[in-house]
Amino acid sequence: MVVKSVIIRPELCVGCMQCMIRCAEAHSESGVLALAVSEAVLAKPRIHIGVGPELRPFPNKCRHCEPAPCQEACMPGAIRSDIAEGLKIVDMARCIGCGMCGMVCPYFAIRYYPAAQVAGHGAVAIKCDGCHERVARGQVPACVEACVTGALAFEDVNRHMNAGVNRLANAALGVTA
Amino acid sequence: MRYVIVGLHAAGRSACAWLRRLRPDASIVGVDPEAMPPYARPLISYVLSGELEPGQLNVEGPDFWDRLGVRVVSERATALDPDKKILTLASGRQEPYDCLLVATGSSPRPAGVQGSAAKEIHYFRTRGHVERILAACRPGGSAAVLGGGLVGFKLTMGLLARGMRVHLLVTSPQPLALNVDERVGAWAAEQLAALPNLALQTCVTAQSMEPEPSGGYRLTLDTGESLTVDLVAAGKGVIPASGWLDGSGLACADGLAVDQRLLTAAPEVYAAGDTAICRDVALGAPRINAIWPLAVEQGRFAAWNMAGQDCPYPGGLAMNSIPLFGRHVVSVGAVNPRLTRGCVSEVAEDRQGRYLKLVFDGSSGRIVGALGLDAAPRLGELTWAVRRGLTRDDIPTHWRRAPLSAAPLAARTEWLAKAAGL
Repeated sequence: MVVKSVIIRPELCVGCMQCMIRCAEAHSESGVLALAVSEAVLAKPRIHIGVGPELRPFPNKCRHCEPAPCQEACMPGAIRSDIAEGLKIVDMARCIGCGMCGMVCPYFAIRYYPAAQVAGHGAVAIKCDGCHERVARGQVPACVEACVTGALAFEDVNRHMNAGVNRLANAALGVTA
Repeated sequence: MRYVIVGLHAAGRSACAWLRRLRPDASIVGVDPEAMPPYARPLISYVLSGELEPGQLNVEGPDFWDRLGVRVVSERATALDPDKKILTLASGRQEPYDCLLVATGSSPRPAGVQGSAAKEIHYFRTRGHVERILAACRPGGSAAVLGGGLVGFKLTMGLLARGMRVHLLVTSPQPLALNVDERVGAWAAEQLAALPNLALQTCVTAQSMEPEPSGGYRLTLDTGESLTVDLVAAGKGVIPASGWLDGSGLACADGLAVDQRLLTAAPEVYAAGDTAICRDVALGAPRINAIWPLAVEQGRFAAWNMAGQDCPYPGGLAMNSIPLFGRHVVSVGAVNPRLTRGCVSEVAEDRQGRYLKLVFDGSSGRIVGALGLDAAPRLGELTWAVRRGLTRDDIPTHWRRAPLSAAPLAARTEWLAKAAGL
């Protein structure tokens, strides 16, 4: 079975932050950057470029863990795994912004902002939703589409893992391809 | 295999869900007088404040247990015979088991108030409790809240939102004393003191409660003062609901001691949640941390072990997330002054008043706690760091210098390797 996911190769990231902009655009009301910047509630990115080891840029987003600590900590059951396969998605209508999910996420992947989708609700948990609606339409996630260096790729996880294992084995055995 | 789960809230529900995944054909029986429909107890504070409707407490539909294939017995468990492997219920009915989980949670700690009206003190733990408080609330009325911890704080904010005048009586020198440090505690006290309709008194304990002839209650304090109020509610912490196990040879007054696999002293009897005394990773000692995420997590580990896997529970730690006056306080591990003597702390702050404090053990340098004001999302990493036993040297300078923009600590591959035991 092919399970595609956003794969991050931090060593290829140059810190241009285009992924953040396109992510916010894709999650805006209009879905168009020129209009998104003047919406009443600004859409926020679900991917962030942090300062990583050796001060290099590090793209950071939700890993959709299984089991997911955020989902276990969520008291109103707002973090759901039944919306799209393999993804943990925040049901904003149920989110009460209590902060429990952020308290247990080891990856700093959840932040809290007001969202246009639940106007008047106060801050809610905002995190990567895998662009499941775009993917269902046959597109790739917005951050991947924006990335020109290949630091973000939408790939079959198993193929990626196999390639990683091969690289590791070759390195360990001193094999050069 | 016949599994019996006693208590169907956070830990019990999690255990049932995982057992069903791992053992699709097993017989699972859930015992809980309050199982239908499943609801999230911590949300009652949102119902009191009017942010949620009572119906929004439900986190699953009424057919949840049927869909999961769990037969629910809506009764209280009264006794356990671990030798014969039989659970006895309030009606006298007996449920035999092959493997049993005690997840009966906890009960409110009695407020310790004397007097003929003390039995009318409202506690705040279940759906029934919040319904009774709402029925007793009246705008313009007065209330006394006993306890300045999280529950007392939420009671206070909820009653204020319902239009009542509130006397918050705190035994400690500051509110939230167990959850925050002096600085955040002082800030919270300042904010509370500025609220209209709230009178905050610290270093004070209610001693007795008597009915007033004209209605309401007279509360006498240890300072000699007395208050006349319409409603008294208490949030003085919780005690494990393990009294029903007296006579089983298992219980102790402070909860059930468990091993790394969450197994009690009796074979095939596991415990999880507010009744289970597990190792606290911050303090390095056995302790009950009666909080929702740990109960759900322990339910999962218990299920894995009950299903025959060997999954040692890594240990729990105190953690709390508190929306407070438009800001967000998160505390993890040991942060209160009583527990952090001999520790070294490091504080990062910015112009917006965002505050992050890391607490390190004075001798080993291991991180044992963290406290954040509006640094909420970052605290998850520090929970991870405390659990993984990271030390001060493991946290890079750039992270400490700019904790609000640094990549996650878990991004460091050597830590991932350390976590995986490589």
